Amino acid sequence: MNASMTGSDAAVAGERSRAASPTAAPRRNLRAAGAVVFWLALVTLPLWLTHVGGYTALGTKILVYGIAALALNLLLGFTGGLSFGHAAWFGLGAYGAGMTLKYLAPSTPLAILVGTVVGGIAATVLGPLVMRRRGIYFAMITIAIGQLFYFIAVRWNNVTGGEDGLAGFERAPIHIGPWVYDVQNETKYYYLVLVCFAVAVVIMKLLLASPLGHTWVAIRENRRRLQFLGVRIDLYIWAAFAISGTLTALAGTLNAMLFNFTSPQDLHWILSGNFVIMCVLGGMRKFWGPLIGVAIFVVAQDYLSSVTDNWMTAIGMLFVLIVLLFPKGLLGMLGRRGKEAA
Amino acid sequence: MDEFTRRRALKAGLALGAAPLVAHPILTYGQGESPIKIGMHDPLTGTYAAEGESEVRGAKMALEEVNAKGGILGRKVELIVEDDNANAGLAAQKAHKLIEKDGCSMIMGAVSSATALSVNQVAAQKGVPYMVTGGHTDPVTGKECHWTTFRICTTTYMLAAGLVNTLASKFGKKWYFITPDYAFGHTFQAAYAKILQGMGGTVLGNSLSPLGTTDFSSYLIKAQSTNPSVLILLVDGQDLVNCMKQAVQFGLQKKIPIGGGLSELEVLRALPTDARLGWWTLEWYWSQPGVPHVKEWVEKYKKTYPDGSYPSARTWFGYAGLHALALGAAHAKSIEPAKLAHALEGMELPPEVKLQPHKVYFRKEDHQLMAGEFPGEIKHDGKYPDLFKVAEVVPGDKTALPASETGCKLDYPA
Repeated sequence: MNASMTGSDAAVAGERSRAASPTAAPRRNLRAAGAVVFWLALVTLPLWLTHVGGYTALGTKILVYGIAALALNLLLGFTGGLSFGHAAWFGLGAYGAGMTLKYLAPSTPLAILVGTVVGGIAATVLGPLVMRRRGIYFAMITIAIGQLFYFIAVRWNNVTGGEDGLAGFERAPIHIGPWVYDVQNETKYYYLVLVCFAVAVVIMKLLLASPLGHTWVAIRENRRRLQFLGVRIDLYIWAAFAISGTLTALAGTLNAMLFNFTSPQDLHWILSGNFVIMCVLGGMRKFWGPLIGVAIFVVAQDYLSSVTDNWMTAIGMLFVLIVLLFPKGLLGMLGRRGKEAA
Repeated sequence: MDEFTRRRALKAGLALGAAPLVAHPILTYGQGESPIKIGMHDPLTGTYAAEGESEVRGAKMALEEVNAKGGILGRKVELIVEDDNANAGLAAQKAHKLIEKDGCSMIMGAVSSATALSVNQVAAQKGVPYMVTGGHTDPVTGKECHWTTFRICTTTYMLAAGLVNTLASKFGKKWYFITPDYAFGHTFQAAYAKILQGMGGTVLGNSLSPLGTTDFSSYLIKAQSTNPSVLILLVDGQDLVNCMKQAVQFGLQKKIPIGGGLSELEVLRALPTDARLGWWTLEWYWSQPGVPHVKEWVEKYKKTYPDGSYPSARTWFGYAGLHALALGAAHAKSIEPAKLAHALEGMELPPEVKLQPHKVYFRKEDHQLMAGEFPGEIKHDGKYPDLFKVAEVVPGDKTALPASETGCKLDYPA
């Protein structure tokens, strides 16, 4: 392979040669088999998770954070915009859902819808503030936007519950005609979240396969070249920002209903930073990388914090080690190995 | 390869025979019964780690006592402690873990109010009794109360009421406030003002100081000019240290009694000497001459944790919390959640658990423990642990809002 090629050029070249090569069919079969195993594992998760030391709410949390991290990665890994403010959309989704259940109507689908729309609109409206910025300026403005919502939640006591957080709502059973799906049950809620996760994944996969997705990758790889070609890159970044924010808000609504509670900590920049860490851990150049990062982060946090008070040091060291040894993240590393072998 | 030799068999036999001699003779747990697990969430990392550690220490002392007396209903009790990092989301996750994975039949804990509220939601949804040890915000036993939740520490309202009563009767009813300019400060000040005006007092003025204020001189001069009988500082953290320092430079504390809100032994210990000043309220204090069991308990604490520390209100919360759960189960003769909850309602804590002079009991209507307030004065040049002089102990039913006004409606399942 030509050493001077950039990552995606190489990937595109690889994709082409693979399509032409006779090994393409078995490889595709392998992929299909992998996908089947992956989704089967998720569908059967409530059955086996308890036997390996987990609990249903932990699985649900991984999926919820997974949606958020995958959505952030549309912007971070595929378009190349480092956002340190994604907790804003996550938290807006959470408060949107919580307040809908508390003040409007006890309807789970309505809560998901309202929260997602509120977060999505906010991301869309504020997108133009960041779409022309690059690098560190992009990151700084996203932090500022995130903290803006954090302080609104902390100060607007009467409505948001202030620092104590928003309580006093619970997810309501879903009525479909004569059918009742009682999501108050832990396992049933997991499956609702799994459905949302699958929908989000399909949307993201379709987008990345479309011309829009290809343009995002091109912006990441060579912004100037695209500008010279006359592409309105700010509009594409805006689209990435808005879509990524909307899907993150969807994750936020599910998170609020997971514990029937939300607090300003769901809007804080530390959570935004954690989302970025999850993407980097798993590998932000791979679609599934962030999900691996989420799984490692959430499981490590859950397990280590029960074992030692110094769990944050341990997670920090894990992060440093992974960044040093696997600069492309865990999945990125695996992927490259595979390609080299082939 | 090890072989099972005659000598080893003899040794094993000897050890088996000697075991009952060494083991505690009172331990008579039901044979083959699984232990009862109590889950505890508290911040062991982050800003509130010291307070969390104190609560865990107290709970462990109670655990030992309960097990020495044969556990709960003859079953051994296990305490599983989880770190919540004072993060509401993590606390809720840990509550799920404690209930679903570890199979805890009761949970307890909390320092930060947000964690108390989030675990309150989880416990109610799961129908598991939850003993809130810290976390003062009113809604826990007010608007957001649930049949599963009980609270040891007092409410924000009780804290304010305890101090207002004492200061107003001691010094007079014309007060001036310096309040941090954010939502919690406003709420706190409003509660003080309401209680004071309810007693026929007047608010002479209220200065709002932005967070991070370093120069409080204009507020202090303004306060002094109104000639109040009490000056209340509701500012917090570094702002409080700055404000106190300047008040001392003005010699204000010699002319006007200065008061604050809630303080804790852990906080007093960490304060610089300059800021150790004024009238505050604690929720328990280690020195209560003449009150039965307190001295023995403090001695026991020092023997259990020989690191030179003294038990604080937080230690007592953890201690009383675990004992209350055990006592409730003993009264109910069951750990079935609804029976346990009904047994706890109105239950009075015995002297060796309450460790304070007045009657302490769980109010039936809102599950709030009617525990005392300990308003008093910080000793300006005191040395740890002798940092506070309790003026009086105000019983809980004198400080608490009447149950009808808390907004609590218990939601027992039909």
